[in-house]
Amino acid sequence: MEHQNNDTYLAKWLSGEMSGEELMEFKKTAEYKDCKFIVDVTAGLETPIYDQQKNFSATLNKISNQKNTTKVRTLIPRWAYAVAATVVLFLGYSFFFQQTTFQAQLAEQTTFLLPDGSEVMLNADSEIAFKSYNWDSNRTLNLTGEAYFKVKKGSKFTVKTKEGTVAVLGTQFTVNSRNDFYNVTCFEGKVKVTSGKLNHILTPGNAISIQDNIATPYKTNEVTPSWTAQESSFNEVAIYEVVTELERQYNITVSGKENLKIAYFTGRFSHTNLQQALTTVFDTMEIRYTFDANRNVRIQKYK
Amino acid sequence: MPDTQKSVCEQRVFEEVFNTHSKTIRNFIYYKCGDSAQAEDLTQDAFVKLWNNCAKVPFEKAKSYLYTLANNAFLNEVAHKKVILKHQKSVSSIASHESPEFIYREKEFKKELDNAIANLTEKQREVFLLNRIENKKYKEIAEMLGISLKAVEKRMHGALVSLRSEIKEFKK
Repeated sequence: MEHQNNDTYLAKWLSGEMSGEELMEFKKTAEYKDCKFIVDVTAGLETPIYDQQKNFSATLNKISNQKNTTKVRTLIPRWAYAVAATVVLFLGYSFFFQQTTFQAQLAEQTTFLLPDGSEVMLNADSEIAFKSYNWDSNRTLNLTGEAYFKVKKGSKFTVKTKEGTVAVLGTQFTVNSRNDFYNVTCFEGKVKVTSGKLNHILTPGNAISIQDNIATPYKTNEVTPSWTAQESSFNEVAIYEVVTELERQYNITVSGKENLKIAYFTGRFSHTNLQQALTTVFDTMEIRYTFDANRNVRIQKYK
Repeated sequence: MPDTQKSVCEQRVFEEVFNTHSKTIRNFIYYKCGDSAQAEDLTQDAFVKLWNNCAKVPFEKAKSYLYTLANNAFLNEVAHKKVILKHQKSVSSIASHESPEFIYREKEFKKELDNAIANLTEKQREVFLLNRIENKKYKEIAEMLGISLKAVEKRMHGALVSLRSEIKEFKK
């Protein structure tokens, strides 16, 4: 049989463009039967599953990623090198000359390592600053608040506070310097405490507290400071300072503390149970107080 | 024409274009290479390029732009696999009788058809499957591939002739 379009007639038939007469003839052939079968079966074929959502997000991903690569390919302008150098210098400056500061917020304690591996544990509401660029030859840091030091052996290690300076060689000790209150406890090695004209050398198990320029040495059986074990301990400390420490450890406000009479507290309170800590401090000192659900503590006036 | 106002640079429009064309483009590439992961990858790449050039490509041209990109990207890729298509569960609607012999023959036929489709030239296969599975008209295929209508018809005709000669079941 002759077809009008010798190399396309099957396509014409499939799209329904074959002329009537030619179609009648074509339908009689085995070729028609076979092709009809092929066409019918292939209409039911399916491609692998296509997840449109997944592909769309993959496309968006590529778009955002390639934006970065395009930037890299663009020629780097000369000023960029200058900027890069400045940034490097600045970073270097920050690394070598800037002070490094560590802080512990209210009701929080934090531990960190100094460049030489010495360990510092900061008690609540305390801050420490030091220069790390020549740390090994000049181990000096400034402290506000209270901290516990485990010093690696090496050159002189100095802690400066508003109240005085503590200098040591490899040792463990705490320094507490808040307002007019200054307390140093030595746990290991030897510590030299300087405050104004006062000079004291502490050996392990000895502590000193300085209030109003009067130094009171005392002994301690503790191996590490109590506050590193969720407690605060005091040795004849003004009650006002004890209440302030309560405020720091629990991040609470104690109102009416200015009405407190001068008294000294010896003992310890827990950092984990406010109710218990309040009982420990106030009941032993015979102070009346109220405590509500919003953690407001009010000290009542003495009768 | 309201469509001329549409810009592919708008994410909403871009997503619309994606939802309209991405599946067909994926299948179009799949018919060529038989690797659905590769096909999806190339499809995504085509859309990435469309997005990058969204300001230069008018909304109406987006479709043919995408096909050209996908096709060019494909030409650069070398990996080819056998195109495997899933048969629908039954083709019994075609059959007027379902004797055991017929079922056996149908099975044999499917196997042979798969091979025959895989053995088509790439150009024949893409045209044939775009028409049969994607229901694209010859004119649309010609636009997608950037070839003449006559060339599409020739490929379609060639595909049918080739399939018929490959399937032995017909010769029984």
